[in-house]
Amino acid sequence: MIGAGKIKQYSNILEKPLSKGKQEVSLSAFAFLFSELVQYNQTQVDNISELERRLEDAGYAVGARVLELLCHRDKGNRRETRLLGILSFVHSTVWKVLFGKVADSLEKGTEHEDEYMISEKDLLVNKFISVPKDMGTFNCGAFVAGIVRGVLDGAGFPAVVTAHFVPMEGLQRPRTTILIKFAEEVLQREARLG
Amino acid sequence: MAPAAPRSGEAIFSSVDRVNAELFTLTYGAIVRQLLNDLEEVEEVNKQLDQMGYNIGIRLIDEFLAKSNVSRCVDFKETADMIAKVGFKMFLGVTASVTKWDADGSCCSIVLEENPLVDFVELPDTCQGLYYCNILSGVIRGALEMVAMKTEVTWIRDMLRGDDAYELQVKLLSQLPEEYPYKDDE
Amino acid sequence: MQFFGGSEISPSPPVPTATANNAHMMYIFNRNGVCLLYREWNRPLHTLNAQQDHKLMFGLLFSLKSLTAKMDPINAEKGNLGIPQLPGQGCSFHSFRTNTYKLSFMETPSGIKFILITNPRTGDLRETLKYIYNLYVEYVAKNALYTPGTLIRCELFNTALDQYVRSIA
Repeated sequence: MIGAGKIKQYSNILEKPLSKGKQEVSLSAFAFLFSELVQYNQTQVDNISELERRLEDAGYAVGARVLELLCHRDKGNRRETRLLGILSFVHSTVWKVLFGKVADSLEKGTEHEDEYMISEKDLLVNKFISVPKDMGTFNCGAFVAGIVRGVLDGAGFPAVVTAHFVPMEGLQRPRTTILIKFAEEVLQREARLG
Repeated sequence: MAPAAPRSGEAIFSSVDRVNAELFTLTYGAIVRQLLNDLEEVEEVNKQLDQMGYNIGIRLIDEFLAKSNVSRCVDFKETADMIAKVGFKMFLGVTASVTKWDADGSCCSIVLEENPLVDFVELPDTCQGLYYCNILSGVIRGALEMVAMKTEVTWIRDMLRGDDAYELQVKLLSQLPEEYPYKDDE
Repeated sequence: MQFFGGSEISPSPPVPTATANNAHMMYIFNRNGVCLLYREWNRPLHTLNAQQDHKLMFGLLFSLKSLTAKMDPINAEKGNLGIPQLPGQGCSFHSFRTNTYKLSFMETPSGIKFILITNPRTGDLRETLKYIYNLYVEYVAKNALYTPGTLIRCELFNTALDQYVRSIA
């Protein structure tokens, strides 16, 4: 495993054994890196939705790689083909790898057939964040929405994914809900599979 | 009340919240990819990564100071040791060593034995001039500037470029005394 | 108890040192003399405008620090009066008391200054200021939407600070 003990030189990255994903860094190191991702992208945009889109793009790249890694590690290379299967893969396996825990909840939208929601009381990327008033509904969770979209897209479930704050009764802080709206083709395929 | 003794990097790392290094590594990869798209020129990407590291350094220093109980950073030698032994450990969970001190104690090398930034990374031919880990040199420069040490940090060895280790040279240029910040007394 | 948005701040807050004290105001300055935060809980008297007030406070601390280091009978590292010191060099005072208030002061090696003005009977607040520094690290330094050197507009920090300072008051 690279990163543990002696460093070996590999002429080709494919010869390098894939790490098992047990290494850790401090949450702060991630928080500082993430801060700089946000700060840099703020200099590249004119408005909040553009900022969210860029954070989502960065997240998408992470999501695509996470899917590759997990498929590779899960020796069977089994691919999820059903909607609920892939959703629970995101909600539990992906969440556990990235955030160290299963997401708080996975729910189906009540108003729309094609919508699902993954919610988290204390989403890692929002842990230290206070959104200033002039940034309106901006949510750093756009990055996580991008990760989810990257995983879903890579697995053949294209969707529009967005992040929202939802105030919770009895809690000082709103929770973050990742809203997944699947593309029509996904639902049609799902209907065919019965 | 005697000041509390500085805590070791291991003690801090084991007591703080941690995340899977892959989230960190892949996020960093996404940042580098964004910069390559935005800036095109590899040299500009190197510069931007260094700047981003600097921006991180000026924030991260306070976490370092608050968690490590270090109450002063006046001596450069001591400070370089702190960065290697406490700083790298408490943030990245890796150890670094300090070597190659020059005669007057104002220049040394920090050698990384492990580097969580580079997992899964191989530089494509189009990015051969890229200093992929340039953010690290910026972090050190920014953090040291906050404790009044102006430094120059340069890569000596880089495994992604075929060297056998990661080595950063840290050179103290000057120590900035604290000045009264206001120009006139209105 | 969910005081700080579910986050754990280590170390945990020190036990209050005084009974029935009253926090009046708090200032946080960065190393460039920029007042990052000014909070007031109980200040009946205002004689200056905010900007003059902050500048005067910063100047008072700057001079006092230099004077106390100059008068140090023990430590050799004191420099000449008026000659700038390196941060962390020389001794440093941590509080002074008048008949009407007490000023507690902490400066980090990164040049951030925390000042808390309280009732003159307040005990030692050094651990309190350290804890506030930890709050700053969690909710200001690590807040991706905070730009260093600007006014602190972080709700999480302000709420946590408010609750904490009221708890010692």
